[in-house]
Amino acid sequence: MSDVWEECMDHGVAAARKAGEVVREALKNEGCMSVMLKSSPADLVTETDQKVESMIISSIKEKFPTHSFIGEESVAAGESSILTDNPTWIIDPIDGTTNFVHRFPFVAVSIGFAVKKELEFGVVYSCMEDKMYTARKGRGAFCNGVQLKVSGQEDITKSLIITELGSNRNPDTVRRVLANMDRLLCVPVHGIRAVGTAAVNMCLVATGGADAYYEIGIHCWDMAAAAVIVTEAGGVVMDVTGGPFDLMSRRLITASSRAIGERIAKELQAFPCERDDGKKEDQL
Amino acid sequence: MASSEENEMYSKKQWEGCMEIAVQTARTAGQVIREAFKHEKEVSTKSSPVDLVTETDRLVEDLIISSLREKYPSHRFIGEESSAAGEKCLLTDSPTWIIDPIDGTCNFIHSFPMVAVSIGFAVNKELEFGVIYHCLDENLYTARKGHGAFCNGIQLQVSKETADAFTHGDLQRLGCVNYASAAESLTITSHLKDGAQEDMSKALILTEIGAKRDPATLKIFSGNMERLLKAQVHGIRVIGSATLALCQVASGAADAYYQFGLHCWDIAAAAVIIREAGGNVIDTSGGPLDLMSRRIVAAGTVEMAHYIAQEIQTITYERDDHNAN
Repeated sequence: MSDVWEECMDHGVAAARKAGEVVREALKNEGCMSVMLKSSPADLVTETDQKVESMIISSIKEKFPTHSFIGEESVAAGESSILTDNPTWIIDPIDGTTNFVHRFPFVAVSIGFAVKKELEFGVVYSCMEDKMYTARKGRGAFCNGVQLKVSGQEDITKSLIITELGSNRNPDTVRRVLANMDRLLCVPVHGIRAVGTAAVNMCLVATGGADAYYEIGIHCWDMAAAAVIVTEAGGVVMDVTGGPFDLMSRRLITASSRAIGERIAKELQAFPCERDDGKKEDQL
Repeated sequence: MASSEENEMYSKKQWEGCMEIAVQTARTAGQVIREAFKHEKEVSTKSSPVDLVTETDRLVEDLIISSLREKYPSHRFIGEESSAAGEKCLLTDSPTWIIDPIDGTCNFIHSFPMVAVSIGFAVNKELEFGVIYHCLDENLYTARKGHGAFCNGIQLQVSKETADAFTHGDLQRLGCVNYASAAESLTITSHLKDGAQEDMSKALILTEIGAKRDPATLKIFSGNMERLLKAQVHGIRVIGSATLALCQVASGAADAYYQFGLHCWDIAAAAVIIREAGGNVIDTSGGPLDLMSRRIVAAGTVEMAHYIAQEIQTITYERDDHNAN
């Protein structure tokens, strides 16, 4: 059975692999990286982020000139992040820029693809580990060709949960983030992990190596690809309130089972985050 | 009668031989763990519902100790599972092997891919060498006192992160996008000691939660994170294996590590690796490292180590040598 988006996905995988090589090359350079700050002293960007995003977008534009793009660095430079019905590539050139700057070994290229606002496939390339995670809607999820399956864990007291502290250093936000973590630790869960990239965190749930990941404050380009990977591995994605997943909401829970996801939602207190599509609460 | 110099030379050669055996043993143990990783694990608990252990932990520790004991019958052993079974954690002057058969047991149970075998070695209560083997990535971290630290044969060097003074001028120089909004969103806290913030911004820090999960402990744990985040660190990571996290400090990929609740068998090998990579390991009080104290601060620079020690509040765990007279 032919797949109308197969060619796009193959291109996405090739682009991610090439981007990963650029990232690995940049890591070999002995000198200090030139690091810039975005919204806070913990929200970093480098020339490699910008170079890799340009490279991915221009290679896609050449083959698919009518397609749309939402890319982290393009959006930072003023491009729109509104998702239309048009085939749209949703790109994070380097997820885990802080890790990249430090050479901490979790850095990923994330390429998601949506048509009519539905996510069709996702590619996450964890380039320092050389792990290529892929998933096509309805066709399963894979890492380096090996099929992925979530853990299926339903008991929160036996769960390993991943989350991040985020790059927002506003003291009130920090306190809320830590309070959410404390509430989960008290359940108690087996443990909490944080490796520093949303895309890889979600892929770890897809592999069954963790039972859930949640975060408030990430962007659509962090979630788009990995959301397909986790759901194709049998997991769920949902809003932090337990409601339906909203790609532009800046937040999600992804879990090995609905039971775990909903149990986590019970403990979380959300805090406001400007949506990626700029919509206000009353416009939803 | 042999001179003390000759004795010392003999000892050094002997420890080199011991280290080679440690490496072989770690690799063999790692293979057993890799095999078991793919299968269902039977889990029990130790000191709390989140202090986990499996049959593989016990099997691997027996394997390591019996093969070492065969070669070195006069040596002593401190192992995590032997200790759990009632053996005393007593460090004497005798050559002593300090073993964690599976560091990251919770990860092992969940198939979260950060699991290591750790073998440390002390003589006259001095740590002489350390071997840490990442079982899944097959990365071998080794160091012998005075001979450098290595990962798969490549020499390790800690990061020398001591950040520049963090000022608004620096923001402009760094080409910050949306300067005005970034400046507004910053909270430069005035309660930090002079110069202290400068040391912490741009640091990537690792830690672990520890086995205590009561609300009072978690309050201190979160409070410590909150204080470090206020100092504008780049980030805090938790990977679930103290020894592998300490190796990330040794390799320069992280600037510091701190924890309450780890054990002597988590510290022994990693302390040598970090020191030999040019880094520092100290007690959380700021004093010298105390192997049995259940706590540590490790960092690339002594300034970073002491800053963290000053900022963090203590979470008390019973000493490893609590029952050794």
